[in-house]
Amino acid sequence: MPEAALREPSRSSTRRQVIAPVAWGAGATLVLSVLILVGSRNLAHFDAALVGYTFSVLFATFGLTYRYAMWLQRPPTAMYWRRGWQAFLRPGWRRRNAGMWFRRVAEDVVANRFIFARNRLRGLTHMLIMWGCLIAVAITFPLVFGWLHFRPVPGDLSLYEAVAFGFPAFRFPHDSAIAFFLFHGLVWASFLVIAGVMLAVRRRMRDEGAAAVQRFAEDFMPLILLFAVSLTGLMLTASYTWMGGYAYTFIAILHAITVIGTFLWLPFGKFFHIFQRPAQLGVGFYKDAGRAQALAHCRRCGHAFSSRMHIEDLIEVEHQLGFTYEIPGDDGHYQWICPRCRRASLAMAQGALWRGRRGGTPLPDTRPLPMPVHVNPGLRQGPLGVEDADNFYP
Amino acid sequence: MNGPARTTDTTPPLDRETIGAFGPHLAYAKDGRLDTGIEPDKYVKTHCCFCGQQCGMQLKVKDNVVIGVEPWYEFPFNKGMMCPKGIKRYLQQAHPDRLLHAYAKDAGATGGFRAMAYDAAIRQTAEAIDRIQSTHGNDAFAVLSGASLTTEKTYVMGKFAHMCLRTAHIDYNGRLCMVSAAAGNKKAFGIDRAANPWEDILGAGVILVSGANIAECAPITTNYVWQAREQGAKVIVVDPRITPIARTCDLFLPVKPGRDTALFNGILHLMIEHDWIDHAFLEQHTVGFEAVAASVREWTPQRTAEVTGIAVKSIQQAAEWWGTAETSFLCHARGLEHHSNGVKNVMSAINIVLASGRIGRPNCGYATITGQGNGQGGREHGQKCDQLPGGRDLANPEHREYVAGVWGMDPAALPQPGVDAYEIIRKIDTGEIKGLLSLCFNPVVSLPDSHFVRQALEKLDFYVVIDFFLSESARYAHIVLPGSLHEEDEGTVTQTEGRVVRINKAVECPGEARPDWQIIQDIAKALGREQGLTFESPREMFEELRVASKGGIADYSGISYERIEEHYGVFWPCPSDVPDGVPLPGPQGTVRLFEPGSWNPVARGAGPFYFPDGKARLNVTPYVGPAEDVDEEFPIILTTGRVVSQFLSGNQTRRIGPLVDHCPEPRIEMHPRLAARLGIADGDWATAESRRGHCTLRASVVTTIRPDTVFIPYHWPGRKSANQLTIAAQDPISKIPEYKVCAVRVRKADAPPEYAAALEPQQ
Amino acid sequence: MPVPDALEFFIDPGRCIGCQACIQACTECDTHKGQSMIQLDYVDRAHSTQTVPVVCLHCDSPTCAEVCPADAIKRTEDGIVQTARKPRCIACNNCVLACPFGVPKMQTKMNLMMKCDMCYDRTSVGLKPWCASACPSQALAFGTREEMARLRPHAKPVNTFQFGRQTIRTKVNIMVPRDAPTDIVDVTASMHEPTIGREILDDVFMERPDGGDA
Ligand code: SF4
Ligand code: SF4
Ligand code: SF4
Repeated sequence: MPEAALREPSRSSTRRQVIAPVAWGAGATLVLSVLILVGSRNLAHFDAALVGYTFSVLFATFGLTYRYAMWLQRPPTAMYWRRGWQAFLRPGWRRRNAGMWFRRVAEDVVANRFIFARNRLRGLTHMLIMWGCLIAVAITFPLVFGWLHFRPVPGDLSLYEAVAFGFPAFRFPHDSAIAFFLFHGLVWASFLVIAGVMLAVRRRMRDEGAAAVQRFAEDFMPLILLFAVSLTGLMLTASYTWMGGYAYTFIAILHAITVIGTFLWLPFGKFFHIFQRPAQLGVGFYKDAGRAQALAHCRRCGHAFSSRMHIEDLIEVEHQLGFTYEIPGDDGHYQWICPRCRRASLAMAQGALWRGRRGGTPLPDTRPLPMPVHVNPGLRQGPLGVEDADNFYP
Repeated sequence: MNGPARTTDTTPPLDRETIGAFGPHLAYAKDGRLDTGIEPDKYVKTHCCFCGQQCGMQLKVKDNVVIGVEPWYEFPFNKGMMCPKGIKRYLQQAHPDRLLHAYAKDAGATGGFRAMAYDAAIRQTAEAIDRIQSTHGNDAFAVLSGASLTTEKTYVMGKFAHMCLRTAHIDYNGRLCMVSAAAGNKKAFGIDRAANPWEDILGAGVILVSGANIAECAPITTNYVWQAREQGAKVIVVDPRITPIARTCDLFLPVKPGRDTALFNGILHLMIEHDWIDHAFLEQHTVGFEAVAASVREWTPQRTAEVTGIAVKSIQQAAEWWGTAETSFLCHARGLEHHSNGVKNVMSAINIVLASGRIGRPNCGYATITGQGNGQGGREHGQKCDQLPGGRDLANPEHREYVAGVWGMDPAALPQPGVDAYEIIRKIDTGEIKGLLSLCFNPVVSLPDSHFVRQALEKLDFYVVIDFFLSESARYAHIVLPGSLHEEDEGTVTQTEGRVVRINKAVECPGEARPDWQIIQDIAKALGREQGLTFESPREMFEELRVASKGGIADYSGISYERIEEHYGVFWPCPSDVPDGVPLPGPQGTVRLFEPGSWNPVARGAGPFYFPDGKARLNVTPYVGPAEDVDEEFPIILTTGRVVSQFLSGNQTRRIGPLVDHCPEPRIEMHPRLAARLGIADGDWATAESRRGHCTLRASVVTTIRPDTVFIPYHWPGRKSANQLTIAAQDPISKIPEYKVCAVRVRKADAPPEYAAALEPQQ
Repeated sequence: MPVPDALEFFIDPGRCIGCQACIQACTECDTHKGQSMIQLDYVDRAHSTQTVPVVCLHCDSPTCAEVCPADAIKRTEDGIVQTARKPRCIACNNCVLACPFGVPKMQTKMNLMMKCDMCYDRTSVGLKPWCASACPSQALAFGTREEMARLRPHAKPVNTFQFGRQTIRTKVNIMVPRDAPTDIVDVTASMHEPTIGREILDDVFMERPDGGDA
C-alpha cells in the first residue's frame, strides 16, 4: 500500500533544500574515495575484482548522506539534532553524559534491550541479524577498500601478517584460532543472519497483526536481500572448500549482484533505520536535560506534564511546519494544554453542542479544573502506569 | 431488627495460608493467549457467564485452552457488544487456581486442604449425607444451589434434593437477586418473566429505570436506552447515586434508599389526579384498581417528597412524562428489589405500568433486569425452596402429582416446601440442619451479616462444596469437589428477556474435575439412590425438563437445542401443543407476553394475564420503611451494589487480572459534604460500622451520591466485605435480604487496616 | 487491503458509561495484543461520572506524523494513520505532546510510541474494530453513514475540529446534533468548561442525614 503524501511543506526554498544534501552526499563520497586511494596505497593493495563492490559502496555513501542530510532538514529532526547535541555537550554535564553515552550504547545498541522489551523473540531476531551484519561489514569493508590485507610473513611460512592502511599491524600463525576466525568470519556471520532472517520470516508469515500492516518492499525485500547475500556467500565458501571451485565464478557474480543490490537499497528502505536509529541516544540526553529544567504546566489543569523546553521547541517546530495552534487569550498556544485535558476538552466541546438536548449540566466552575484521570487505576496490560510516569506525562 | 451492636469480635480471619495455596491469584494473558500467530482450533459460539444478559460471543480454543474471544455479530441481543467481563472471561479457564482434584479439610496440609482421590471424596460425601439423614432426618441435610448454572443443572439440583435426598431444604442464590421481582410479577401478572423483549425499549417514548445501575450491571442495555433516546425517548432514572446512565438522563430522581414504594405511590397519585390513566384497559384487563387508588390518595407530592427526598417538581415531572407517554418501558433491578419490602416496591412499580395500560404491546413494556447468568432460568425449574419444574408449586397437589409422575415417584414422597437460603443458614445455626451441600454459591461473601454466616458454617457436621476455585465459603468445607466451569459444559440458559439460549462446551474439564451434574449423580449413586439421576448428557436432561415443564407456566416443551440454534434463542413459554384453535407461538417462542387475545394455560383464553380470569392484579402497596432506619447512633444509610468489572462474590472475576486492575479494591463512596463533616478526604482510610460489624476501606469522595448515604460494592471477601455490615432483614414474601439499606456510622480510620499490607487487592 | 471507504468510525462521548469494555477489547487486537491503545479518562471524577473515550481520529494531515523527527508515522492511502514504525521510532515523545486529541501513548521501555491503528487487522478485512464491536453504549460505533443516519436521526457526524486558529480534519467522526449551527467542533472554545453531570441539590433533602447542619 503506497503511503499517501504527507502534507506538503512550503516549497519556496525547495531548491536550496536539495542542493545542500547533494553537496553533502558528494562530499562524503569524495572523502571516502580519497580514503580508499590513500588506504590502499594508491590502489596498490586494491583487489581489482572488487571494483563493483567499491562503486556500489560509493553510491550508497552518496545516497545515505544525501538522505540523511535531507532528513536532518525536516524541522523536527533539525530541532532534535541541534538540541540533542546541545544537551550532550552541556557544560557541567559532559562527564556524566559521556558515561551515559557508553551506558546507552551498551544497552540500546549492543544489547538491543528495548527490542527485547517489545518482544523476546523479536529481540533475538534483531540481535542475530544485527550482529551478523556488523561482523560481515567489519571484515569485508577493510578488505574491499584495500585497507586491510594479509600476507605470509617472509621467512616464516607458518605466520601471517595483517597489513592495515599499508602498515604491518600484527602477526598470527595460520593454524591459530584467530586465523580460523578471521578467514571464516563471514561464514559465521552468514549463519547468524540466516537464522535471524528465518525467525523474522516466520513471524511475518504467521503473525496476524504483522500480516495486516506489512508490505513487500518495506518488510520482505530487506529480508530477501540479506538472505540472498548470506546464502551466496556461503555457497562461495562451499564451492572453494569442498567442491574444488565448482561454478565459483558464477556464484561470485551472483554474490556480487546481491551485495551490490543491498548497498544500493540501503538509503531507501528499512535499512535506513540503521543510520537513523542513533538519534535515540540524542533523545535520551534531551529528556535528561528537560527533566532537570523548568516544567511545563498545563494551562487547563495546572499539572506539570512535560519540560518547558520540549513544549517551547515543539511550538517552534509546529510553527515551522505551518501549524497554527495559537489560541487567542491567556492560553496562548494549544501546546500548553496537557494531553489529558485535550481529551477532556474534546468531550466538553461535543457536550456543549448537545446542551439542552441531553440531560446533565456543566457543574460549577473551579479553575484550574481538576486533572482528568485515567479510569483504570491498575492497568498492567498497557502502557499507562509506569511508562507515563517515566515520561512525566500525566 | 434494631438492637445493640455486637460486642464479640467479628473480624474475619485473613486466611493467608489458604490464599497462598488456592488464590485468588491473578491471571493475565500470556504465551498462547498473547501469540498473534496462533490459529485457533475452533470458534465456539456460546454466551457470557457473567450476567443475566447472556451476550453471545465466540470463544477461541486451541489445544483445550480458551485463548481469547471474538464478537458474535449475528447474535441479535448484543450484536457483538460485550462488557469488560465478557471480553476477559476467557482468563478464568486454564487458571492456576483451578481445582484439579477433590480436597479434604486437613489442618496439617498446606493451605488447610489435602488433595484426595475423587472416588473417595464422593464416598465420604455420601456416607456423611447418609449418616446425617438417617440420624437427624432427611431435612437435616440442606442444599444451596446457584442461578449461574445452566438450566439443566438447576433442574438436576432440584431433582437431586427433592427426589434423591428428599430434603425440604434446597434453595438457591437467586434468593439474593431476583426473587422480589419474581414474587411481585407473580402477584401482579401470574407469571414471572420480563414481559417484553428488549427491542421494545427502542421504540418507547418514556423509559423509567428504577434502581438499576444499567451502565455497570447490565451494560448492553445501555445501547438500547441510548438508542431509544436518539429516537426521542425521555429517560427517567431513579437511584440514590448519579450512575453513568443517570448523568445525562432527562430526569433524575435521587431517591433515598428504601423509599421506592412511596415514590411510585406518589406518581400513581398524580396520574390519578390528572387522569393520566387508561380506564378502558383497567376496566377490561385488571382488578384491584379502586383499592389501590384509594390507598395512594395520601401520597401527595409533598408527602412523597418528604419521604423519598426527591424534589416535588421532579416527582411531578416524572408523573407527567410517564402519565402522558404514548409508549413506555419500565425496568428495574436490585435497587428496587433488595429490600425488606422489595415485593411491595416491585408491585408499586407495576401499578403505574398497569394504570397506564401500556403493556403487552409493541414498544410498551415492563421488565426486571436479571443479574445472575441464569437469573431467569435458574428460578423456574425447581431449585427454589417452594418450587417444581415449569414454575410449578411444590405445595400444589396437582403440580406435585404431575412432576412426581414425570420423575416416576410417589407424590407423597416429595418433600413439602422448605425454607429460603438465609433461613437455611439460621437453621444451621440452631442445629436443625447439620449437613450442607453447596454449588455455585458463595454464602460467606454474598449473604448479609456475614459474621453470622461464617459462624453458622463452622457449626456444620458436614459441608461439601462443589466449585472450580476454592471460594471463600469452600474454606469452611470438609470436602471440596472439583466442578466445571461454564466453558467446560453445555446446556441452556434463559437470559433477561426470557430468551432461552445455548451454552456450548468449548473445552474439557481438567484433571479430576467433572461437570457439576456428573458429580451430583455420582453422589446419588454412592448413596444408592441414583434413580432418576442417570443422565448421560445435558441434552437428556433438557428433554426431560421439556416434559416436566410441559403445561406449567414456564413451559419449555416446545423448545429444542436445534430450535434455539436456528433462531438465536427461543422465548418461553413455548408449549409443544395447545388446545385447538389456539395458535402455537412463532418460531422464536412467545416473544412478548400479555398480547391482547393471547392464550395461556392459566386463563385458558379468558385474557392475556396468567390468572383464571385473565386479568392482571393491582396490589395495594402501603409504604413501610426499611427494617433498620438511621438513628442517633448509626446516622448514615449504607447501600451496596456492584462495579462493572466484577461478578457477584467475585470467585471468578477476582482471579482475572485485567478485571481486578479495573477496580482493584472496594471503596466507600461518600458525598464531600458528609466527608467534610467526618473529616475524611478522598483516599483516606475510613471505617464504617453497623450493629453487625465493621469494615475499613479507602474513601472515595464524590458528589455523585446522596449526602445521607454511603455506598460499598459487595464483591470482596473477608475484611473488605460490605456484607459484614448489611442486615439480614428479609422481605416477608420473597425472602430477599435487605442489601440496599442499613444504618451505619462512619469515621476516619485510626490506621490502615491489617489486610492492606497482608493481602493483595483481590484477596 | 485498505479499509473499505463506506465504513466509518463514529464517536459520541456523551454516550460513554466508562465501562472500559473498549480498553479490554483493545488488548485483544492482533496488531498490539496485550496493550490497550484506548484513552479513557474521567473528566472530573469527584464531581461526575463523565468519561471520555478517545481513539485516534486519523487526521488528514496528522500533526503527530509531521512533528515526528524519525518519519516513523505513516498514513496509508485509506486514511489510516498507522502506529509508529518499530524500526524508526526513537521515543522522542513529540507525537504524544503534539497530537491535538491526546492520542499516542509512549512505551518508554520499548522506546516505542504506540497508538490506535483502528484495528487494521480487522478493518482492512471489513470487520469492525474491537472497541466499536464491544462498546456497550455504542459511544464508539463503526458502520456506514446510512446506518448511523437511520439509528441516530437527530445527530450528524462531523469531522472538522478547531484548535485555536488551527483546523484539523479527520477520518473519524464525532456525533453532534443534526441541527447544530456548525459543522466544526471548536475544542479550544470549550476548553475551560467544567464537567457535565448533575448535582443533588440541597433542597432535595427534606431530612438531614443526621439532623446535623448540612
Ligand atoms: S457480563 Fe453481561 S453485559 Fe457483560 S459481556 Fe457478559 S453478558 Fe454481556
Ligand atoms: S466501551 Fe464504550 S461505554 Fe465503555 S468505556 Fe469504552 S467508550 Fe465508554
Ligand atoms: S489524532 Fe493524533 S495520533 Fe491520530 S492521526 Fe491525529 S495527530 Fe496523529
